[in-house]
Amino acid sequence: MKWLKKNRNIFVFLPLLVPTMASGQDSVEKTPTLSLKYFSSDQNIPYILVQSRYKVGRKFEPVKGVTVLFYLDSVAPSTKITDKATTNEFGEAIAALPPALKNTWDASDKHKFIAEAFGNNEFDGLEADIEINKAKLSLDTSSADGVKTVSVTVTQLENGKWEPVKAVELRIGIQRMESILKIGEEDTYTTDSAGKVNTEFKINNLPGDKKGNLVLVASVEDNDQLGNLKVEKTVPWGVAENPVNNFNERSLFATRGKSPAWLLFMAYGIIGIVWGTLIYLIFQIFKIRKLGTETSS
Amino acid sequence: MENSIILNPEKITADLYPKKFGKAGKIWTVILIAVCAIGLFAYIRQLNKGLVVTNMRDYVSWGIYISNFVFFVAISLVGSLITAIFRLANVEWSTPLTRIAEIIAVSAIVFASIIIIVDMGRPERFMNLFIYGRLQSPIIWDVVVISTYFFISLLLLYLPLMPDLKILNQDPSKNSRFLNHLYRIGGSFWKGTKEQLKINNKAVTTLCIIIIPVAFCIHTVTSWLFATTYRPGWDSTNFGAYFVSGAFLVGAGGVITAMYVFRKAYHLDKYITDLHFEKMGRIVVMLALLYLYFNVNEYLVPAFKMKKPEEEHLKELFTGSFAPMFWFAILVGMIIPIFILIFKRGRRPLPMFIAGVMIMVGAWFKRYLIVTPTLLHPFLPMHDVPESYKHYFPSWEEWAIAAGSLAGALLIMTFFVRIYPIIPIHETINEKNEMAEKK
Repeated sequence: MKWLKKNRNIFVFLPLLVPTMASGQDSVEKTPTLSLKYFSSDQNIPYILVQSRYKVGRKFEPVKGVTVLFYLDSVAPSTKITDKATTNEFGEAIAALPPALKNTWDASDKHKFIAEAFGNNEFDGLEADIEINKAKLSLDTSSADGVKTVSVTVTQLENGKWEPVKAVELRIGIQRMESILKIGEEDTYTTDSAGKVNTEFKINNLPGDKKGNLVLVASVEDNDQLGNLKVEKTVPWGVAENPVNNFNERSLFATRGKSPAWLLFMAYGIIGIVWGTLIYLIFQIFKIRKLGTETSS
Repeated sequence: MENSIILNPEKITADLYPKKFGKAGKIWTVILIAVCAIGLFAYIRQLNKGLVVTNMRDYVSWGIYISNFVFFVAISLVGSLITAIFRLANVEWSTPLTRIAEIIAVSAIVFASIIIIVDMGRPERFMNLFIYGRLQSPIIWDVVVISTYFFISLLLLYLPLMPDLKILNQDPSKNSRFLNHLYRIGGSFWKGTKEQLKINNKAVTTLCIIIIPVAFCIHTVTSWLFATTYRPGWDSTNFGAYFVSGAFLVGAGGVITAMYVFRKAYHLDKYITDLHFEKMGRIVVMLALLYLYFNVNEYLVPAFKMKKPEEEHLKELFTGSFAPMFWFAILVGMIIPIFILIFKRGRRPLPMFIAGVMIMVGAWFKRYLIVTPTLLHPFLPMHDVPESYKHYFPSWEEWAIAAGSLAGALLIMTFFVRIYPIIPIHETINEKNEMAEKK
């Protein structure tokens, strides 16, 4: 009791434990979820990605092997995007817009994508949808007095016209091997009332390809109205790189005819000495033979 | 005591002259031929249907065949130990054992080469190894070293045999027509003149010098086939010395087993004496302790660190599905033979024979454990392979071929003993004369 009295403040924190414990109990339950994402870029035709996952507590676990049907605008045989797609080990499956739906796609500025799971016990009948405005990114560059500027514009289709979209968060960077490198100090930029972002390209001496080209990338990620948008542009703002290719040089890992000279010298030297000695010994046998024949004659 | 028995040259010749097979010898030979025939049948099936008749798949692509290959290469190393090292070190008591060691070396290296071809999915492409071989590849080093070692072992078998061929050629009535023909081709020119002896001795000494580095190379290069591959259990800088020490042990085990069998079968007690067993026993204890030391290095150091990628492999060996075989190989292949042979009573012929057999059996399983578990636990597991690929147990064809190769090696030795003296007659007579002169 003394201990309890002394540490009575501990009771203040008890209510805080309740939600933690509750969430701990929730984590046992697995709720199947289906979600959709829309992707559009200047490099590919638009496509949608479905994610089949279990919601476990606050986390999501991918579910492999969920079969999904995709529709454009409404669930009907005529609006079917694909026959079916099955999610992979990351719980993902994609479907690109088929040519057959071109007219439906062109007919409206806004579209709804619908995904419907079937044939899977827990996911059967589960639906997900996403509504997007047709939008695009355009990327322009200019260079004056040594200052390089990147300008990105976000526009969306409204009544058949491309209108600027303000307050859209986007990223601008350079495509490297595995990620996108920032070109300035900001992680993200927001479009102004003209749907534009202007920023200075501050990176110098960045290795590019053989001609010094870099790939500039602008992207909008997981926007509620526009989905995922991406645009790329190649600019000659890097340093030309001619990587040293030693493929044709002699090395231990080179192909047959390109063994290192020292290895050839050592190996053939040793083989030559050993086999030379053995051939000498064979001659000795013939010498013994000759001596024996001479003795008997 | 045995060494003090006075033996005249006629008696020695009569004792050591090749003898026809008795009933047991015939049965033994028939069994070996039958096992070889089954192995050949299995190999023909493999040729017709492909390597799919084996249980080797994407994970275990080196199975029982390569284990057998490593075993053969290991046992062949004894030729350099008994013949070359002992001869150069002037170890006189080793004379009766030299030919036993050399024929073990030759027969083992022949089947090491054969089993490699058996492991090839397209054996008709064997010559491509020589035509398009890549000198940077340890496989090519192995091809070069094995063919060189085979040739040296053959010469080392033949050159000391020349004086004995003269003895075999002396009385053709003792031999069949075929054997007389064989002896004439091999040694009718040997007259035993001073010049011939001088050249022969010089050639044998040269071979003894040259075979030691080649022998070390053959097993070191075989170990590098594994050690140059980045896999758990093989990624070791210790492998060369580990393999060479293991090879000396299994080779010495093979020699003591053969010593006992030949001594019993041909009543060679006066030539392969208890003293030979005693001395070989001491050598085997030393080799077993040495190999045990390398095993401690090979397993205890990685186990102490227990790096994540090595963990699964080591746990499988120590406590997992390979544990019974692993502990069997350690106990039977090393620890029990050490306990048998460390005591003087254990270094008598029968306990020595038992220890020799244990060493060889343990050594065979040890090679299997070097090859297979590592292949089952790669650093990066393969995706989308059938569950059966993740386990390995040899098919009957693999067992039959492996058994056939072991029987084939024994068959070479058996026929050799029937045709040539297993203990050098000429050298034994000379040694006895020298001993008599000293007295």
